[in-house]
Amino acid sequence: MEPRVTSQQNFVRPPSLAVWLLNLFALAERADSILGDLLEEFSLLASKSGVASARRWYWRQTIKTVPQLAGVGFRTAPWMTGAAVVGGFLLRKLVAPWVDPSIFAVLERYQVFEHHFSTYRFLASTGLDVGHFITFLCIGFIVAFAAREREMVATMSLGLIYGAIGVAGSVYIVTRTGDDATLWRLTWYFADSLAIVIAGAIVRTHRLAATSHSSNA
Amino acid sequence: MSRRDYLGEFEHIIVLALLRLEDRAYGVTVRQEIELRTQREVSIGAVYATLDRLETKGYVTSHRGEPTPERGGRSKRFFRVTAKGAAAVNRTHHALQRMTEGLGFTWSHA
Repeated sequence: MEPRVTSQQNFVRPPSLAVWLLNLFALAERADSILGDLLEEFSLLASKSGVASARRWYWRQTIKTVPQLAGVGFRTAPWMTGAAVVGGFLLRKLVAPWVDPSIFAVLERYQVFEHHFSTYRFLASTGLDVGHFITFLCIGFIVAFAAREREMVATMSLGLIYGAIGVAGSVYIVTRTGDDATLWRLTWYFADSLAIVIAGAIVRTHRLAATSHSSNA
Repeated sequence: MSRRDYLGEFEHIIVLALLRLEDRAYGVTVRQEIELRTQREVSIGAVYATLDRLETKGYVTSHRGEPTPERGGRSKRFFRVTAKGAAAVNRTHHALQRMTEGLGFTWSHA
């Protein structure tokens, strides 16, 4: 985005994080007009009321606009977005049973238990969690690739589903067993959900960069 | 008569703003017109989400303007009410009038 000159001859840009967030959720054909409108008003506000006030206004608009853009994204292609989410859910079902046995197979292959017990202990606990995190990240990539232009809506929906399942499962276990130590596992469930969303943001950002590069060429 | 024959509250406001602005209606002017007349802060996202819905229903059409430097080289998207949209706003307006008849309503600011 080109910088804007205010009456004070300073280059003023809207907050980059807010612009990035809007770009993550806006459909390509809508992004141009929405970001252009916001920049036009931001520049006007910055020269009238100051940059700080304009930035606060931009953030307020962003926070209110992102959920609307997510809604439009889903409404304009509900079947494709839904199919990507369901596909991701089924893929996770298919892949998950192989994660732990694969990690243990590697540990046994290199006889980690016999030669490096502390490493074995680390890999057999935290290593498994990292394995699951990477699995969710890969599933997030696939879902984001499938949900063209709706990467964030699809990955956030899937992340919310897994987050909800994690919370419901943990609450169920705690109420049944009274063992509230299992609640700490929630952090890993949320990390898995976050991995899916991060993958969506990476794919979207990469696609935006590719589009911008091809339009500049 | 189906529910879709009437405009929702915000749809109604947006179409009226487009009618007021005529050929100057794009995101910024629509948002500002609504804020000026209703005294409520409106997000650009809400304006576009509603305009997209109205366009899908065939109540408004849009076309892109030329990119301008003050918008970072981005173009405006201008909106116009169709005949179907004008009929829908009329119908909604008359329905509201009929519903308020005999209630002793005065059309002043609340």
